[in-house]
Amino acid sequence: MSPIESAITLTVNGSRRTVRVSPSTTLLEMVRSRLELTGAKECCAEGECGACTMILDDEPVNSCLVLAVETDGSEITTIEGIGAAGMTPLQESFLATGAIQCGFCIPGMVVAATALLERIPRPTEPEVREGLSGNLCRCGGYKRICAAVMAAAGGAGAP
Amino acid sequence: MSGSGLGISAPRVGGSERVTGAQSFAADIAIEDVLHVALVHLDCGHAAIEEIDTSGAVGIEGVIRVFTAKDLPDPVPRFGPRFADRPVIATVETKYHGEPLAAVVAVSKEAAAEGAAAVQVRHKELPGVYSIDDALDPESPLVVDPALRSGDDPLAGSNVRQRWDWGWGDVDSTEADVVIEETYTFPMVTHFSIEPHAFAAAPEGNGIAVWSSIQHPYFLQGTLASLLDLPISKVRVHAPDPGGGFGGKGFPKYEPLVTMIALELGRPVRLVLTLEETFQAVRRTNARLQLRTGFTRDGRLVFIDAIEDFMMGAYADIAPRVISKSSYFAAGPYKVGAVRAVVRGLMSHTTPSTAFRGFGAPQMTWGIESQMDAAARALKIDPVDIRLVNLARPGEEIVPGDRPADGDWRQALNIAAEKVGWGEPLLPGHGRGISVGLKASATAGASYCILRILHDGSVSLIAGTSDMGQGARTILTQLVSENLGVPMERVTLVMGDTAVVPFDYSTSASRSTVFMGSAVVDACQKAIADLRDKAADQHHVSVEDVVFTPGQVSVDGAVYTLPEVLNDVFGAVPGEIIVTGSQRGEGDANHPLGGAASFYEVSCTASEVSVDLETGDFELVKHITVADVGRAINPQHVEMQDEGAAVMGLGHTLMEHLILDEHGRIVNLGALDYRIPTFKDMPSTMESVLVENGDGPGPGGAKGSGEGGLLATSPAIAAALSEATGVVIKDLPLTPERVWQAMHGGDEGREQ
Amino acid sequence: MTWFEYHRPQSVGEASDLLRMDDAVALAGGTDLLVAVRHRAVRPALVVDLKSVTDIADGIEVERDRLRIGGHVVMNRLTRDEHVNRHFPVLAEAAAVVGSVQIRNRATLAGNLCNASPAADTAPALLAYGATVIASGPDAPRSIPVEEFFTGPGTTVLGRGEIVTAVEIPIPPTVLGSAFARVTRRRGVDLASVSLACTLDVSGRARFGFGAVGPTPLLAQSTRDELATDDGWSRLLAVTSPITDVRAGAEYRRAMLHVHSRRAFQAASEELRAAT
Repeated sequence: MSPIESAITLTVNGSRRTVRVSPSTTLLEMVRSRLELTGAKECCAEGECGACTMILDDEPVNSCLVLAVETDGSEITTIEGIGAAGMTPLQESFLATGAIQCGFCIPGMVVAATALLERIPRPTEPEVREGLSGNLCRCGGYKRICAAVMAAAGGAGAP
Repeated sequence: MSGSGLGISAPRVGGSERVTGAQSFAADIAIEDVLHVALVHLDCGHAAIEEIDTSGAVGIEGVIRVFTAKDLPDPVPRFGPRFADRPVIATVETKYHGEPLAAVVAVSKEAAAEGAAAVQVRHKELPGVYSIDDALDPESPLVVDPALRSGDDPLAGSNVRQRWDWGWGDVDSTEADVVIEETYTFPMVTHFSIEPHAFAAAPEGNGIAVWSSIQHPYFLQGTLASLLDLPISKVRVHAPDPGGGFGGKGFPKYEPLVTMIALELGRPVRLVLTLEETFQAVRRTNARLQLRTGFTRDGRLVFIDAIEDFMMGAYADIAPRVISKSSYFAAGPYKVGAVRAVVRGLMSHTTPSTAFRGFGAPQMTWGIESQMDAAARALKIDPVDIRLVNLARPGEEIVPGDRPADGDWRQALNIAAEKVGWGEPLLPGHGRGISVGLKASATAGASYCILRILHDGSVSLIAGTSDMGQGARTILTQLVSENLGVPMERVTLVMGDTAVVPFDYSTSASRSTVFMGSAVVDACQKAIADLRDKAADQHHVSVEDVVFTPGQVSVDGAVYTLPEVLNDVFGAVPGEIIVTGSQRGEGDANHPLGGAASFYEVSCTASEVSVDLETGDFELVKHITVADVGRAINPQHVEMQDEGAAVMGLGHTLMEHLILDEHGRIVNLGALDYRIPTFKDMPSTMESVLVENGDGPGPGGAKGSGEGGLLATSPAIAAALSEATGVVIKDLPLTPERVWQAMHGGDEGREQ
Repeated sequence: MTWFEYHRPQSVGEASDLLRMDDAVALAGGTDLLVAVRHRAVRPALVVDLKSVTDIADGIEVERDRLRIGGHVVMNRLTRDEHVNRHFPVLAEAAAVVGSVQIRNRATLAGNLCNASPAADTAPALLAYGATVIASGPDAPRSIPVEEFFTGPGTTVLGRGEIVTAVEIPIPPTVLGSAFARVTRRRGVDLASVSLACTLDVSGRARFGFGAVGPTPLLAQSTRDELATDDGWSRLLAVTSPITDVRAGAEYRRAMLHVHSRRAFQAASEELRAAT
């Protein structure tokens, strides 16, 4: 049995793209290999680590758990789309706060945090922790990542 | 960009690439026409391979070939940093859950995975050695083929691969008022870098190019050259910055296999492990420590009598070094007159253990510090006081004849105690604990770098340290900037290509700031000397009349910027200043560890917990780590590493353990059931404090750092729990269930 | 990933027909299905994406005396809905702990029920509130009380081609006290080792839903008077049968059931007292 490809059309970081994919290709695989946007990462491939986080129709999702074919007609934003016109205040805040160590979790963190701040512009610290609870960082940068998001939001408790 | 001096928290070099998603990790690098590899492995620990039927796989569209041991030389080539015991691929047996016995090569990742699932392996599960008791049982099967052990090895007929006997003084004739005798266990845990290991290889010229998420590119280069019978100069290793390593990407794992496949096919191939495969590939050495510790009535430590068993795994990897280096410091940071330690490195049909942040010291510290707290309770002495009594002072020996204490460890302890509020009244259900851990740094090694001052005064530094999150790029750039007076944004760091970058022993043991840092400073000084010579020639003065201060040169009363001097010197015909720098530690062949440690990394952890006494659930109210770092070249980088280490320590203390069933299968294989700390598991207050006394051997008096924060996490939290609940727990992790069991339950059996 | 075909039907009828083909599976949020496919626990030949089926309700509506939660509703929608928060706060609480925000943007309530994990996070709350599952398929639509919906680990009463189109919960006629409790291995996102929800009404009737302590989510009922005695608690918890698995041991689960059930009942009682 071999995969039957079909064409899907979706908006990626503001540009319309038409891609041929087989049904079993995930959104993550399509973005990384067909679209050659390697910012989103593969780690657990089952929705536990958040390294593959993308924004799909305005909501952050684990792109490893979305089939590419499900996104026909949708809009996605990847890390490459965030700060495409210059780094966002959130990204600057990550740099300034020392929130970045090895960097592998960071694309997912930035996308998830961007989505969080869209929904809650001035979050409390518990809201930040909850909003990012689906993103793992093995370098243990949680304290500073939280501080970076709070500082970017100008929220309560920002250092 | 801001200042460039030492002690400045300069922004991370490489930070903007990471925050925009532009950073290329090993799996991101585009390799033209690359083929994809998927591994085939069995669903049990120890098995005899009877027949591998690849017909199902080969028939799948997109599958090119299936490799097995039959495609490799016979006898199968073996490699390993201590013993050449690991086969490139399994031949007649698999010796751990996940050991590859076939590799499917296909045009796409999907096809390779489909192919791997379609390979049928007729096999017979064999009795396996899955625990420390199994390994010590004389009736157990031997993990290592006896033919692979040397003829005069007295342990050859057992699963004890190596034994060490450390000691000094006379334990048996040392009197003690109180003897604490307990057994502690430290579980199997895995690195779980967010970047799974990734390997690629392609024939290049009459040699080979390899890409790997490897921490030690030169070691890999040497291993491959040896296995492939190639000159080292024909093996090129590209080492992109790893997405977390923690020791799990230090030594070669499947690069030899991938490389041999690439050479056989004449095409580039790539293998990226699944997260589950990384759990099967790497872990920390687990341990059982049987300790008898003697104290006088006033809390002085007088002897340690220990039997320490470390379970290495199916292949030794670097575990013998992990064990010898940590167990050698049987008393940690304390002075003690008599020690006897019998230490065994055991083979088992499990994932080969390897280096893991702390390198045996977290396991040792769990035992040593738990004993100190047990003594404190028995003698009714304050846990801070009992440590103050016994901690070595600067210049005092800890292991006789070896490097003495090189830090004011009492100061770190006192700071931790103060920050956690030691001695203040406790709320009901609360408890505090405090602990000190010691880890020895590198004992030998060498780092080289090349420094080029280009003719516009910008600088290229070529140095082989691996930046896997600790910020090596920033530190080395800061050192160049500080020493030469060149702004950081005019310094470019070239790393990660053995064809271009000179030798570096490793990025491990918290050694890089000291070793590579010193090499960089050496290079800067040579560059300055060369520049002065050339300027002196140019101006027809003697070199003493040329004065260099960072960023400028004064000759004959006139002051020039660096670009101006260079323009002078290389006026008509361009050129550059190019020098090498190096730092070597030759070690000492007579020393049991190959040399004294270049410095000790010492860290203190203090913790306060709040326990729900009915359920065993508890919260971390406060968590303090104090690191004795000598000098923080970039304080923000050091703090973030220390905090990160503390969080990693919380992992093995509170929730991480690999669970094996009776078939040697890892049951909690994957992110769903192997739990690591998340945002919501953070302590309410977490603080990292750096002690800087300038007493290290590196630039500015720096020591290394990055491992300290997880050395003493477990005993500090266990002691806090003990104060809150009255129970003493000697096994990790301290899950809510384990705490509840200790308080309320029956005995459900110990895990190993 | 196993190779399969993909269809996106527009109606329940079409979806139902497709689902009756060999090795066909339904796709809603994908947060359970794609994991199962990756592990080869499920090997579909055909994936039927329900998200374009127009006659599956999309929203959360009050219809006379009940709240109707459409089959397409995702967990985050549930947690943020004013009706759910007002009348069924424990359901909102339960939905909020299903995975992470990324998961909750995709996982549907209907999907959580159909996946039928004994530890399904929303099931204890739905049991305590007396919810009903509305299913459509080749035969006439039917209403299935949640306590009759699950038949075993991963299995439900649904027949081939039958689809959950909505979940309905009767709006409590009088004020209820309620509480929710969950035991996990870490504070971060985790599956429950034990979970429970309880409601208590003014006449003293208590309903408990339990998760992860039996082959299915379980309902047990009692009264305030009965729960004033140890025997009453024993009878209540007799429906549960916790086992030892990779997440927790049986003895610990039993103990946590006791502790957390009492605490939840206490909390529900206090809430009821405060509201009346």
